[in-house]
Amino acid sequence: MLIFSFFKTLTDQVITVELKNDLCITGTLKSVDQFLNIRLDGIRVEDPERHPHMLAVKNVFIRGSVVRYVRMAARAVDTTLLEDATRREAHNTGK
Amino acid sequence: MAALDGFRDQLVQVVLYDGRVIVGKLKGNDNFCNLILSDSVEREYSSDKGVEMIPLGLYMIKGDNIALIGQVDEDKDGSLDYSEVMAEPLAEIRY
Amino acid sequence: MEDAVNATISEPLDIVKLSLGERVFMKMRGDRTITGTLHAYDAHMNVVLSNVEESIHIVDVNEDGIPQAPRVERRSLEMLFVRGDGVILLSPTQ
Repeated sequence: MLIFSFFKTLTDQVITVELKNDLCITGTLKSVDQFLNIRLDGIRVEDPERHPHMLAVKNVFIRGSVVRYVRMAARAVDTTLLEDATRREAHNTGK
Repeated sequence: MAALDGFRDQLVQVVLYDGRVIVGKLKGNDNFCNLILSDSVEREYSSDKGVEMIPLGLYMIKGDNIALIGQVDEDKDGSLDYSEVMAEPLAEIRY
Repeated sequence: MEDAVNATISEPLDIVKLSLGERVFMKMRGDRTITGTLHAYDAHMNVVLSNVEESIHIVDVNEDGIPQAPRVERRSLEMLFVRGDGVILLSPTQ
């Protein structure tokens, strides 16, 4: 729930999703769901020479389970707020 | 799935866990990410020759095998000469 | 000191909780290691880190199938979400 909320705060930011097949896709985060499935619009692939497979694709829906990392700008994240939310969630769930 | 609403009746490119790429018209989907694709074609990439188009027809793809679903820009797709595009097939999803 | 630590650590995720805002080391699947400052985590071990240094440990194999000397590829990332299914371990760094 915490991470889901975290991603919702990143809506309309440009992020890079790195998949477990080494494909890196950059685009604008349009939506995220409870499984951390991600919808990116206006995408480009990091290494189009090696990965021309997505050349004609403009928007993507990525299954959460194939995500390895999501990279974002540091200024997109309020780390103090995030740590407080994490402590609160840990307290509330007893974790 | 809400994030896929805008893809309905559009040309989509599905990337499977094993790296295969299938393009077709999205006729239906559910919460498990199961898809119905009509007039689908597998695009087989190889590093020594252009993309091979293998007609598959009407397909139901189980959501478990899907890594991502991309909305294809049909104008851009039509302008690309896939017989000239050479690349290693996409890697399978491992970690 | 040990008693104080034991009083606050009763389950594995307590270690992670105590590391909030601190530098952590993570070992990942796919021969990767990560260090970074921990800002968020959940029960799946999904985490958010900043000032991240990632190392990928690679052993190349030549044409004869002979493994070459191991090499490390490094990269720096300013803010990173790491999906928990790839995490093997997390440890506070001093």
